[in-house]
Amino acid sequence: MIRLSNVSWRRERKANAPVLSNLSFSVPQGGFRWLLGPSGAGKTSLLSLLHVENLPSDGTLCLLDKDVTAQTPRSVLVRLRQRIGMVHQNFRLMPGLSVADNVALPLRLQYRPEDEITDEVQAILKWVGLGDRLDARASRLSGGEQQRTAIARAIVHRPGLILADEPTNALEEPQAHKLLDMFSELSSMGTTVIVATHNEALVRRLPRPALVLERGRLVQDGT
Amino acid sequence: MALPFSGRKDGLSLSEALPDRSLFILVAMMSFLAALTLTGATGARTLSSRWAGGAAQLLTIQVSDPDQPLAGTAKAEKNAQKSRADAVLADLATLPVGTQVHRLTQEELARLLTPWLGDAGKTALPLPAVIEVRLAEGQEAPTDLEKTLDTHVPGTVVEHNAEWSTRLRALAQSLLACAALALVTVGGIATMITALATKAGLSTRRDIIEILHGLGATDSYIAGRFAGRTGGLALGGGLLGTLLAMAPLLLLFRMAAPFSASTLQAATPAMPDWRTLPDLLPGDMLTGLAALPFVAAFIGWATTQVMVRIWLRRMP
Ligand SMILES: Nc1ncnc2c1ncn2[C@@H]1O[C@H](COP(=O)(O)OP(=O)(O)OP(=O)(O)O)[C@@H](O)[C@H]1O
Ligand SMILES: [Mg+2]
Repeated sequence: MIRLSNVSWRRERKANAPVLSNLSFSVPQGGFRWLLGPSGAGKTSLLSLLHVENLPSDGTLCLLDKDVTAQTPRSVLVRLRQRIGMVHQNFRLMPGLSVADNVALPLRLQYRPEDEITDEVQAILKWVGLGDRLDARASRLSGGEQQRTAIARAIVHRPGLILADEPTNALEEPQAHKLLDMFSELSSMGTTVIVATHNEALVRRLPRPALVLERGRLVQDGT
Repeated sequence: MALPFSGRKDGLSLSEALPDRSLFILVAMMSFLAALTLTGATGARTLSSRWAGGAAQLLTIQVSDPDQPLAGTAKAEKNAQKSRADAVLADLATLPVGTQVHRLTQEELARLLTPWLGDAGKTALPLPAVIEVRLAEGQEAPTDLEKTLDTHVPGTVVEHNAEWSTRLRALAQSLLACAALALVTVGGIATMITALATKAGLSTRRDIIEILHGLGATDSYIAGRFAGRTGGLALGGGLLGTLLAMAPLLLLFRMAAPFSASTLQAATPAMPDWRTLPDLLPGDMLTGLAALPFVAAFIGWATTQVMVRIWLRRMP
């Protein structure tokens, strides 16, 4: 469950023009939403609020039944982040680590047993088609391979909320369709999924409600 | 099947995430410098306490023509049998209990003079008797000792070390102050450089800290991981620097050993054997040297903890 009411966000406290202004919408648990809008509209910025990388400047934000404000204890925010899977637009992999170690990170941060981690990581990497690249250094991957590693890392720990920022822009069409099918299946199993994209063909393939941003304002709230 | 994992518990091979070499080398150089300064300071302290304490307690008495019979004073016939040296020794026996009186033997005398006269045992020079008097702690030599001896055994010279020990003590104290100042300065510089090198190494790794934060790592986890890594690096650098400093230190101490003997009897012109050298090194200096790498490690560790936590505080 995600709920925003009158959320605004400024990059700096005193910046006069907010990047996001007056956003109000909610997404039920297990909901799927497209996040659409022209380049620079604020899609990545909105996802950074939903990923608790930034806090709203105004308004109230509620994520996975937790209120996210400046007063929320850090430990609560940390646990919240552990329950969110994020595919960044620029992947944000650890360059010095192997594909497998990158994907294992969310599990290791939860201190899962090592043999369990090995099984999960191998399974998910096989699924994204990187079953033979487990050992490869993240810094030596192609764009598509990096993106698939980032996707694997975002879902390996079965988060309650998946946020994906242009998760298909480096993928070939069949891979993109496969990913979309998985997102749709995860959402039907109770995971909330929000996918930002420019890819209209993809949106047509999976017709779901869309949040549409334009210059930091919501012009369509997904209902 | 070989696991594709790094084997580390959390898969963070920070050895690749942190630029090691500059921190390692800087810490090694700083520890080297600190080790030398520490030794200098310890040496200064040892010398100064020896001068200030030892010199005041020590009298050296020279008796010329020691084996001549004491010039017969009319009264004591049996005294006439006594040599001049023995007469002085007899007088010295009246000094307070606890006083050590030792007449240097021919061999000791010869050994003392060898550096200056060559084989002094065979010299034709008439050698005086040298008597070392070590007063008990806190004791002062009787002020009239010199006069008493000189009237009794004319030509006896008392070298009253206490006279110059005051000046020596002042010198020792300023030496000690200089050493302390150097130690504080070098310690301060070493701390700052270690902290700066740590900081520089970390700043290139900010992205990694942000990634870990985004994945839901706690502040203490991230700070602990990085601090453990830099602490380990600084420990290694500190060890290397201290070990490297040991070579010049041992050399220095070996050369200084003949000058630091506390009595003339113990003094030898020869430098000590390498094997006995460790026993000669002051214990507190060894403790200080052993502590150096850990101090370096702590500085690296603490700097990293503080820095990483400051960065993390800027993120929610
Ligand atoms: N690091 C930054 N510093 C300052 N302004 C930024 C920064 N990143 C983005 N912006 C600005 O914030 C606004 C929103 O950017 P955001 O990245 O959220 O857009 P977006 O919808 O994700 O665009 P795109 O589709 O191109 O990824 C834009 O006006 C952009 O210029
Ligand atoms: Mg974007």
